[in-house]
Amino acid sequence: MTDKKLLRVDGLSVDVVKGTMVTPVLSDISFSLNTGHVLGVIGEAGSGKTVLSRALVNGLGPPLEISSGQVIYKGRNILDLSQRELRLIRGKEIGYIGANPMGSLDPTMAIGEQIVEKLRSVRPDMSAVAAKERVLDVLASVHIPSPEARFHEFPFQFSGGMMQRVMIVDALVTDPTFLVADNITQALDVTVAAQIIRLIEELRLKFNTAIVFVSSSLPVVSSLADEILVLHEGKIVEHSTPHELINQPRHDYTKSLLARLPRIWGDDVKQLAENNGDVVLSVRDVAKTYVVRKRGTFNDHNYVQAVRGVSFDIHEGENFGIVGESGCGKSTLTRLLAWLETPDAGTIRFQGFDLAELTKAELVTMRSSFQLLLQDPYNALPSRMPVGRIIAESLYIHDGGSKEEIRRKVLSAMEEVGLPKDLENSLTVGLSAGQRQRVCIARALVLEPKLLILDETLSALDQVEQAQLLELFALLQEKYRFTYVFISHDMAMVRKVCNRIAVMYLGKIVELAGNSILFENPQHPYSKALLSAVPTLDDHPFQAEEYLLDGEPPSPVDIPQGCTFMTRCPARMKICGSREPDLNITVGRAQSACFRATEMGDEVPHQLK
Amino acid sequence: MFILGFLTRRILQGFIVLFLVTFAIFTLLRVVPGDPARLIVGGMAPDNVVAQKAEELGLNDPIPVQFITYLGQLVQGDMGNSFLRPKSGAIVGASEYDDPTRGNRAQVLDLILERLPLTLQLAGVSIVFCLLIAFPLGVAGGLRPGSWMDRLAFFAGSLFVSMPNFWLGIVLAMLISVKMGLLPSIGYKGFSYTILPAFVLAIELAPFVIRTLTVSIAQVMQEEFITIAPIRGLTPFRIVFAHAIRNASIPLLNLFGIQLGTLLGGVLVVEYIFDYPGLGLLTINSVLQRDFPLIQGIAIFISGIFVFINIIVDLAATAIDPRLEY
Repeated sequence: MTDKKLLRVDGLSVDVVKGTMVTPVLSDISFSLNTGHVLGVIGEAGSGKTVLSRALVNGLGPPLEISSGQVIYKGRNILDLSQRELRLIRGKEIGYIGANPMGSLDPTMAIGEQIVEKLRSVRPDMSAVAAKERVLDVLASVHIPSPEARFHEFPFQFSGGMMQRVMIVDALVTDPTFLVADNITQALDVTVAAQIIRLIEELRLKFNTAIVFVSSSLPVVSSLADEILVLHEGKIVEHSTPHELINQPRHDYTKSLLARLPRIWGDDVKQLAENNGDVVLSVRDVAKTYVVRKRGTFNDHNYVQAVRGVSFDIHEGENFGIVGESGCGKSTLTRLLAWLETPDAGTIRFQGFDLAELTKAELVTMRSSFQLLLQDPYNALPSRMPVGRIIAESLYIHDGGSKEEIRRKVLSAMEEVGLPKDLENSLTVGLSAGQRQRVCIARALVLEPKLLILDETLSALDQVEQAQLLELFALLQEKYRFTYVFISHDMAMVRKVCNRIAVMYLGKIVELAGNSILFENPQHPYSKALLSAVPTLDDHPFQAEEYLLDGEPPSPVDIPQGCTFMTRCPARMKICGSREPDLNITVGRAQSACFRATEMGDEVPHQLK
Repeated sequence: MFILGFLTRRILQGFIVLFLVTFAIFTLLRVVPGDPARLIVGGMAPDNVVAQKAEELGLNDPIPVQFITYLGQLVQGDMGNSFLRPKSGAIVGASEYDDPTRGNRAQVLDLILERLPLTLQLAGVSIVFCLLIAFPLGVAGGLRPGSWMDRLAFFAGSLFVSMPNFWLGIVLAMLISVKMGLLPSIGYKGFSYTILPAFVLAIELAPFVIRTLTVSIAQVMQEEFITIAPIRGLTPFRIVFAHAIRNASIPLLNLFGIQLGTLLGGVLVVEYIFDYPGLGLLTINSVLQRDFPLIQGIAIFISGIFVFINIIVDLAATAIDPRLEY
């Protein structure tokens, strides 16, 4: 019986040992895995899932120590093997892919060279020519375009998604029988992550590899795995099939995990109405192009068209979402909205004033009304300044009154964002990401702004903290009638809070619609692709098989003629090659830049079919 | 072509640096006390001879005019003539007036080029020694932070940095040349004369290299691509030699560009102690004798070497890490 199992883990426990302090990280993990099967492991940050995946390949180092248990691979305990015996199977029969593809290869060497190096390390009998051929073959099999050219490129020349494919090649090039995939989609855009999942599925069918697939996203794991382990505080709390896990969760933790999953589609999803307050921010035909010296030339330049003519209005008290993949220009747009950079063309009017026409002094005054909150709360705060002083800083700049008055304002802002008063004089060192983000919010809040621009502000936080901050935002909005611009790639979060959403692609808005229209009846094929990639347990109206796209957006240096989406569009027509569609009005107040949109406009929403 | 653009830009920058150095040196030498004309013709020479010499050399012109004249000559590769050194090579006393060799002064450029190979040899050998000492210590220390090897590297570094080069030079000359008679140490009659001074210089440079290597190797070993490499199936040998050292050598290269100054400073002292007839000894003597054109020439020449080596260092760093190609 045991011989049939490719991998069996028995009572595995791992501790963190620091001096005499011993803290358990994993305790009593047991499971087994057959050839060709996928075992999903789901857990939050800190649940020990990365430690588990490293332990499976005997890749733990100090301060982590295996205190008991066995990992039996093909009848032998991997944990007992000598370094030399280990070298005969690890990297060869056992593959490992990590969460950080960009850091997994030597940045100073071409990727092909490094995969060949690996292949020949585990198979010294292979000639250099044969190894190179093999690597090129596998590069092609994971859909990396022009593998011969990319073979000689360096890691920094790859996007995150392409680099993850390279790491998959690195693991698969030796035909492993067992593969550990540790949170491999975490750092990727949703569409790219969905492509990678599809790729793993394909490879499993082709090579019959046994896979341990570790992830923090239940929808992702359940779409792929035959069985799922739920890991919580270093213990397996539940072990069942995806179907059973979702429909009949037994453990309380699994139940709470399911309850916390954001809902995207379904009858019970809260519908957000559009609102028609006064226009706070009005953006007209805004464009920004960066001039970058071309690599390998002396005086030749590339024109990176980051934002190419964007127009929209934001109404008072609304939540406006801007979504899109990395590289679509949303960060540049954020910087323009916050007037950190000035647009090359077009105007941005805030409360009726054209920001370009204000004097420096007027601009400083105006700035107190629109504030930017960034993604990384660690770099956004000076580390040698006490919290109270950080928050007071903006009041000093904007002449916030006497010392006592400033202190009073600071303390009331701290109370409002939920920071305890005694933090006023402490440094930011010991604060959690969520608390730091609250300091950032308080710093913006003391100025009594009208508009808050949130650039991926909640992306770095875990689900619980994210939910708490969203509550805080809602509370502040109710009290002060704040207007929010959410720039995000997290579709679930956008679905939950935004009244209207703009979808960006290659520097343009391709669709601008109310929440329910965008999620239930989007017109633009790119919006559909984006939605099809969203991992969810809900009944998915956009099946990946039908809508998910291959490849990546074209470079903003070489923008295709006509409709920029044409190169990837499944429904392109003749006209698309010659003319770029504008944002046309289609359903209700939704706009979509697609020639097909108008003809499909009166179709019934998907949910009602 | 990246290389061409890079070279053009850096060489242009180099010329600006050289121009500024030339200007600074030239002006400073003109404002220090002492009359060059009197220096040339001899302290006891009659005033009219001094005045005539000053007129001849253009020393009565305003300093900017003199500077432009000098620049004009410099562009043609003419660094002027030494005030004091005759072509024959003998150094003359400065106070006598009627010295027959005085009319026939040596070209500054010739003097420099004559000494340069010896100094380059000294520097080259000392860099080799330095790497031989520092690499094993630094790499071993970086691979096992906190171990006895790390402590050994630290200890060796502290020891080397606290031994002054003049002291070490004298002690080594005493021990190895005088007591044991293993190596010669005064003057230059063959390659063996380079070994001791090069060793002293190597000891002076080594602590910086050891420290940089220890830190950067330890840092690189923490990087994910190294920690993950054994899981990918790479051997420890390849991990250290093909990846860790490769990545750690970039800060080392940059250090070399900067430590060139230390090396040159060391050369001055060490050449003087060992009476090694290189550029350093020439510099010291010309400073002591106030041989202005020679001091000027050496300073400009050395700043030229500085610029050149730093261009090479940056090129080499780019060759190792293509991300630096900006």
